[in-house]
Amino acid sequence: MTVADTPLLEARALGFLRQEEPVFGPIDFELRAGEIALVEGNNGSGKTTLMRVLTGMLRASEGELRIGGGAGSLVFLGHHLGLKTDLSARENLDLAVALYGRRDDVTLMSVLAEVGLAGYEDEPVRRLSAGQKKRAALARLLMLPATVWLLDEPYANLDREGIALVNRLLALHAARGGAALVTSHGAVTFAGDTLRRIRLHA
Amino acid sequence: MRPGSTSSACAALLHRDLLLAWRRRGDIAMPVLYALIVGTLFPFAIGPDPALLARIASGVVFVTVLLSILLSLDGLFRGDIEDGSMEQLMLAPQPLALLVGMKILAHWITAALPLIVVAPMLASMLRFPASAMPVLVLALLLSTPLLSLLGAVLVALAGGARRSGMLLALMLLPLCVPVVIFAAGAVSAAQQGLPWAAPMAWLGAGLAMAVVLGPLACAAALRIAMDT
Repeated sequence: MTVADTPLLEARALGFLRQEEPVFGPIDFELRAGEIALVEGNNGSGKTTLMRVLTGMLRASEGELRIGGGAGSLVFLGHHLGLKTDLSARENLDLAVALYGRRDDVTLMSVLAEVGLAGYEDEPVRRLSAGQKKRAALARLLMLPATVWLLDEPYANLDREGIALVNRLLALHAARGGAALVTSHGAVTFAGDTLRRIRLHA
Repeated sequence: MRPGSTSSACAALLHRDLLLAWRRRGDIAMPVLYALIVGTLFPFAIGPDPALLARIASGVVFVTVLLSILLSLDGLFRGDIEDGSMEQLMLAPQPLALLVGMKILAHWITAALPLIVVAPMLASMLRFPASAMPVLVLALLLSTPLLSLLGAVLVALAGGARRSGMLLALMLLPLCVPVVIFAAGAVSAAQQGLPWAAPMAWLGAGLAMAVVLGPLACAAALRIAMDT
């Protein structure tokens, strides 16, 4: 097995119990470079809990989880976007870059133009609409060198163009050797049917 | 890929927290106003006897400063936990304890430093002798970071609880007592012309220990608080 074949993210019989009740799992999956997987499940089927386990925020109750890259190779975008609303998109991104590092081939302006926020870089995030806030958070994904994206409901609050944007970003990320795990409650049909699907049952 | 270096990450986080505090500068003024009001009311409440005021001045200043810090401590991590920034900090390649330490430093600069600046004024309103003023300021410089660090650990522990203010006050009380005893002890010794180095050294020792252990305990407590 070569280095390229090593999964970036690997879960074996991963499960999580809350007060002895299983929230999800046990599930098995692995994510390799260039792969995008969609986690499907109804409301309350444990999608967000799975994400929190993968980020290490929650400890898995059973099974094992292996993360290929080192620290900082995962980037997480959840329901809470992790943006400071009193700061501008530029100031928010500055901190993310200082923490995680920056991709060599992007600049702040190119990233903001890509997500459609050109001209808003110095506006406090508080004054942006919900969809624009989401776009500002997506800009962070493009900026950081992380190989694995964990996106929890990235389509929420986005218009048709925004949904197309998320799909474009995912395709771009996969093309340059990244991997992504995306949750959705199924309201959005994802482009392409070669996509890996991971089902969670409520 | 090249993650940000630890020092630049710490500097950026400190810068962000100071910037956030500056954008909400009304919140910084609140503890200072509170301390000034309490300090002003004391002579009215107990009467304008200079000897009595001079004797209680250091105690009043310490208790007022401590309570003012407590006011702002409650929200130290709440904003970050609620808007998802804490998750970003936890996933960052830098050690969480260092990042949390930077947040505590930013909190000390915004909440305690203005209080230390007004403390001499507060003390002289209470007829505190000017000769002992440097000792008072030194005691404040050592005891306020100690309180910030102790408080931060408790705030992190209570992080999961919604209304943690009451809980925080109860838990912090026993930890405050030794800090106040040593700080006020040093100042009253200086007021009477006695050597004050020993209690000050105790404060320094406590601070040195808290600087090392506080952020580590805080990081561990935050991980527990997020694990819900």
